[in-house]
Amino acid sequence: MNKKITGAKLLIECLIKEGVKVIFGYPGGAVLPIYDELFKQKKIRHILVRHEQAAVHAAEGYARSTGKTGVVLVTSGPGATNTVTGLTDAMMDSVPVVCITGQVPTHMIGNDAFQEADIVGITRPCTKHNYLVKEVDKLASAIHSAFYIASHGRPGPVLIDIPKDVQTFKTQYLGKNKTKKLTYYSPKTNPQELEIISLVKMIKAARKPIFYVGGGAVNSGIKASKVLFELIEKTGFPCTQTLMGLGAFPTSHKQSLGMLGMHGTYEANLSMYNADLILCVGARFDDRITGKISGFSPNSKKVHIDIDASSFNKSVMVDLCIQGDIEKVLNKTIDLIKKERITFDIRKYQSWWKKINVWRKKDCLSYKKDNKIIKPQYALQRLNELTLKKEPFITTEVGQHQMWAAQYLTFNKPKHWMTSGGLGTMGYGLPAAMGVQIAHPNGLVIDVAGEASILMNIQEMSTLKQYRLPVKVFILNNQYMGMVRQWQELLHGNRLSESYMDSLPDFVKLAESFGATGLRATKPSELDDMILEMIKIKGPVIFDVCVDQTENCFPMIPSGATHNQMLLGPDDKAEDTISEDGMVLV
Amino acid sequence: MEAKPEKYIISIMVDNEPGVLARVVGLFSGRGYNIESLSVSEVDSDKFLSRVTIVTSGKEIIVNQIKSQLLKLIPVHNLIDITQEKSFVAKELILLKLKNNLKNRKKTLDIANKYNASILIDSNTELIFEMSGTTLEISDFIEKIRPYGIIELTRSGLVSMSLGLDYIKK
Repeated sequence: MNKKITGAKLLIECLIKEGVKVIFGYPGGAVLPIYDELFKQKKIRHILVRHEQAAVHAAEGYARSTGKTGVVLVTSGPGATNTVTGLTDAMMDSVPVVCITGQVPTHMIGNDAFQEADIVGITRPCTKHNYLVKEVDKLASAIHSAFYIASHGRPGPVLIDIPKDVQTFKTQYLGKNKTKKLTYYSPKTNPQELEIISLVKMIKAARKPIFYVGGGAVNSGIKASKVLFELIEKTGFPCTQTLMGLGAFPTSHKQSLGMLGMHGTYEANLSMYNADLILCVGARFDDRITGKISGFSPNSKKVHIDIDASSFNKSVMVDLCIQGDIEKVLNKTIDLIKKERITFDIRKYQSWWKKINVWRKKDCLSYKKDNKIIKPQYALQRLNELTLKKEPFITTEVGQHQMWAAQYLTFNKPKHWMTSGGLGTMGYGLPAAMGVQIAHPNGLVIDVAGEASILMNIQEMSTLKQYRLPVKVFILNNQYMGMVRQWQELLHGNRLSESYMDSLPDFVKLAESFGATGLRATKPSELDDMILEMIKIKGPVIFDVCVDQTENCFPMIPSGATHNQMLLGPDDKAEDTISEDGMVLV
Repeated sequence: MEAKPEKYIISIMVDNEPGVLARVVGLFSGRGYNIESLSVSEVDSDKFLSRVTIVTSGKEIIVNQIKSQLLKLIPVHNLIDITQEKSFVAKELILLKLKNNLKNRKKTLDIANKYNASILIDSNTELIFEMSGTTLEISDFIEKIRPYGIIELTRSGLVSMSLGLDYIKK
C-alpha cells in the first residue's frame, strides 16, 4: 500500500518521473505548498526569474535547445496572467512547455478572491490544452497527461491550474505507468504508403524542384535533420528554410539558398516562384513566406508534409498532403527511392541550377560598406566569423536585428537557433538565452538584440547574475524601433511616429549595475577585438554595438506583393510594388 | 453575386468535462467561423461522452479547416460531417407558447394538427405546443402560427445522424 502524500509532494514526484531537471518559476501565495516541497528536495533545480513571462520564454529556450519539455511554475492571478504572452509564443512556435499555476482554494473559485484569475479560461485559446484540477486524486493523471500532450503530435504548451487546497490534500501516487491518462490523445505520426508512392512519383517527375523546410523539421528531432540531409544530398535539389527552420539543414551547404519569405534571399524567393515542385517539410505557408497568396509559386505542384492536419490547405492549396512525423515520412521516402533505384542525374536539373546561380549572383545580401559607421550587417558578419567554430546558440529579440541575424549568421545545426517566429515577441531573446544557457552550461549563448526589445525583459539580467549565466547580449543599437521605422519610411512618408527610442539607458553602466560586463563599440575597427573580448569573459556581457541608425533590412517583399516583386535595396522604390490592399496588411 | 454558402452539419463526440463546450465555441469565435445552431448533451454516461451537433456554413475550404481544427481539440474523440454522408436525418424540437382564447383556438389547433405538433399544456391562459421536425418544417409552422400571437418560443437546434449501420465511433 502506497503512503498518502500531499498534492504538492505528488506534483514534485510526478515531475521527477517525467525527467524534469529544471523549473523556471516565481513563488507566490497560491503555490507556497509546492515551493515548500521544492525546498525539501534536491532532484529538481528551480531557477528564480524576475517576471513570469520570462519564465515561459526561458522554458521555451530550454525546450528548443534540448528537445525536452520546459517547465514553468507560477502563482495564481497576476503570476498566471503574466505567462499568457509566453504561452501564446510557445503555441505559435510549437514549443513543448508545461506551465503549472497555483489557484485560489476550490471553495473560493468564482468569488473574485484575492489573486484569483480564471487562467484556464484565459489560456484556452493559447494553450494546446489546459486543466483545472479540483480533486487531488486526478492530479497525477493531469500532470502525466500534460507532459504527453505537450510533447506528442505538434508540440505546444499545456497549463495545469492547481488550487491551493488541492496542493495540501492527500492522495496516493501509483507511479507513472499505473496512473490512468486523463485524456485520450493519439496523434497520427505514420504516413500512408500510397502517399509516399505519390510523393516519389512527383519527385521523379520534377525538373525545377525545391525543398521548403520549416520548424517542424527541427521539432521532429536531430534524426529528422539527418534524414533530411540525406534526402537533399541524394536528390541534389536546392533547399530553402523558413525563419523557424534555419539549421534543420546546414545553411552553409552548397544546396542551401538561405531563408525565404519577406526578408528572404533573392535566390530563395525566385526559386519558389519559378519552381515546378515545392516540397514543404514541416512549414505552414505562413503569410511571411507566401506574400500575396494568388501570386505564390503559380506554376508548381506542391507537397505538404506536416504532423498537424489543420496546417493543410489553410492558405495555399496543395496537391499532396502527407500527415506524419517528418523523420518517419522522409525515411520512408528514402527507402522507396532506394528500392526503386531512382537516380538523380545532374543533367536533369542543370538548367534549373543555372537559373538559380544567376539569381545567386545578384548577391542580394550585399550592402554598402562603411569604415566610419558600424553597419549592423557587418557587425553580425564579424560575430559569425569569430564565433562559428564554437557552434554558438543564438537567440534573438524581434525586429530588424532578428532578420539580419537570420540572414547573416550561419546555422549548421538544428536546435541552435531560438527566435520568436510566429508571435514575434519583443523581449523573447534574453530570457530564452537564459533557458538555453541553463541547458548548456558550457555553450556559447548569444542573444542578438535590439535596444528596444532588450528593454522589455531587461530585469532578467538579475537572474543571469544570480545563476552566473554567461549569456552574451549583442545589442545592435540604432536608437530606433528599427523595423517600425523602416515601415514608416517605406510606407508612411517617413513620419517616424513614436519609433525613436528616447532616453535610452547607458547599456554599459546598466550591465555593471547588474554585475555583468558592459562593452561598447562605435567604430567598425573596434568590433573584432571587442567580440573576442566578449567571448572570453566568463560572466554575462552586454555588448552595445552602436550601428547605423537608418539602415534598412533588405531584401524585402512588401505586404501584398509576390516573390518576384522584391525590393533589393534602398534604390528600389516601395511605392512601385505596394498596392492599397497591401497597405492594410501587417 | 456570391453563391450562398453551403450548410454543414458536424457531429462530434467529446469528453463530458468542464470547459469542453467553451473550447468548441471559443474555436469558432476565435477563428471567425459561423455557428448557426449548436446542441449538446451527454450520450454515454459510462464513458462520460457528450455528442455535440453544430450547424455551420461557409466555403468548403473553411469547413475543412473547421473540421481539422475541431479534431485538434484534445477532448474531441471523433467527428463526422453528416452532410457528407449518403443519407441522414436531421431534426429539431420546438416549444411554442400561445395565449389560449376561444377566438383562435380552433384555427391554431388545426395548424398544430397539420404539422403533427402535440399539445403540451392546455390551461385557461395558455397553450404550449411541442413539435419536432426539420428546420424547414419548424420555420413553416412558426410562420403559420405567428398571426395568432406567439408569446414565446424556443428551439433546440439541430440534432442529426446518418443512416446505415455505421455510426460515429467513440
